[in-house]
Amino acid sequence: MTLEIDAILLDDVTLNLDELARSCQVSREWVIERVQCGLLLDEEAVSADPAAWIFDSRSFIRIKRIIAVERDFECNPELAGLVADLVEEIEQLRACLQASQAGGN
Amino acid sequence: MEFKDYYKILGISRDATADEVKKAFRRLARKYHPDVSKEADAEQKMKEVNEANAVLSDPEKRAAYDQLGQERGFQAGGDFQPPPGWDAGFEFRGQGFNGAHTADFSDFFAELFGKQGGAGARQSHRRMRGEDHHAKIMLDLEDTYHGTSRSLTLRVPKLDSQGRTLLTDHTLNVRIPKGVHAGQVIRLAGQGGPGINGEAAGDLFLEVQFNPHSRYRIEKKDIYAALPVAPWEAALGATVKIPLPDGLVEVRVPENSQSGRKLRLKGRGIPAAIPGDLYLVLEVILPPAATQKERDFYQTMAQELAFNPRQNLGV
Repeated sequence: MTLEIDAILLDDVTLNLDELARSCQVSREWVIERVQCGLLLDEEAVSADPAAWIFDSRSFIRIKRIIAVERDFECNPELAGLVADLVEEIEQLRACLQASQAGGN
Repeated sequence: MEFKDYYKILGISRDATADEVKKAFRRLARKYHPDVSKEADAEQKMKEVNEANAVLSDPEKRAAYDQLGQERGFQAGGDFQPPPGWDAGFEFRGQGFNGAHTADFSDFFAELFGKQGGAGARQSHRRMRGEDHHAKIMLDLEDTYHGTSRSLTLRVPKLDSQGRTLLTDHTLNVRIPKGVHAGQVIRLAGQGGPGINGEAAGDLFLEVQFNPHSRYRIEKKDIYAALPVAPWEAALGATVKIPLPDGLVEVRVPENSQSGRKLRLKGRGIPAAIPGDLYLVLEVILPPAATQKERDFYQTMAQELAFNPRQNLGV
C-alpha cells in the first residue's frame, strides 16, 4: 500500500535550533557560532535566546551550502558565508536574466 | 551491485598520499559544485566524488577498501558482492563522514560501510534517531497553481536481523500544496533514515525546484511570459486572448505599445499566501512579406507613415 502524506512547508512550520543542527549533522554550537557571526539569520531575527531562533527554507538551504563549502574546502565560516552570498546573488541574477528574456524567445 | 573504483573517480593513483587525496577532492569539489558548475551531471558527479573522498580520506576505510580492491584489481563495474567478513579487523568511525550525507551514497558504499555509520554502528546497541535525508523535488509550474500529488520512490536502508544494511524501495504519495515556489523546503516527518533500536525515523527534506518551462520564466513568485501581438494590435490597442497556467484570460493591450512593454496581471503569479504577479511581455510579430499583396501593404506603409525608427540615432 502506498502511503499518502501531506507536504509541510518549512516556511509554515519552521525548524528550531536543535532540529536544524540535527538535520544537518552539525552541533548546536556550530550553528550558534555562525548565527552570531551574522552568516545565517538576518540581524533582526536574532534574539538573545538561541532556543527562540527559527529557521525557514532560506536558512535551511543556506546552512547546507555553508556546511558543504566549509567541509569541502576546509575554509573558515566567513569565507563559506561569502560563497553562499554570491551563490544566492547569482541565482537571483539568473532568474532575473531569464525573466527578461521572456519576450525575446 | 557495481564495484566502484574510488581512485579513478578522484583521478589519483593507488599510492596517493592523504594530501594528494585532499587536493584531488578539492579540485573536483570546485569543478562539480552544484551551484556553479556548467557540467550537465554535476550533482551526480559531486555525489560520487563525496563518496570516494569519504572512503579514501579515512585511513580505516581506505585500508579496508584497498584490501578488497586488490583482490579484483580495482576493476570497476561487474557484479560485485563483498566476501563474508571482509571488514574483519577494521574499526570504522561513526556516522557523518565529514558531514557528507551518506544517504546520497551508492549501494556499493552502503553494502561496505552501511548508511548508519558502518560496522561500528551495526554492532552497537545504543538507541539513535534516524538520520534526516535531504533531496530535491522537481515540479512543473502548473503544479503550483492547482496543487499536485507526487509519487516518490525512496531507497531506504533497513537493518536486517543480522544488523546488515539492506536497501529497499519505499513509495509514498506526497500531496504538494498549491502556491509552493522554488527555494521552499518541504518536510516529510518520519520519511528519513530508520531509527536504531526503537528510536524514531528521521525526516525527509525536499528542496522545491521547477522544471524549465517552454513558455514561462519564474522569478521568485512572479511569472513572465511573452505575449505575441500583431503590429495593428500594438498600435491601435486590442483585447486578446492568451492561455495562462490558471486558464484562458483576455488581456487589454494598450494602444501605441511597443515590443518589450510589460503588462502586469496582479496576483496571477504563483498563488502563495501573498501571491506573485504575472507579467506579459509584448512581442510585436510582423506579418511575412511573401506575396505581392503583402509587399504592397508594406510599401504603402513606408510611403504613408514616413516613419524613421532610427531617428534617435541622428540618422
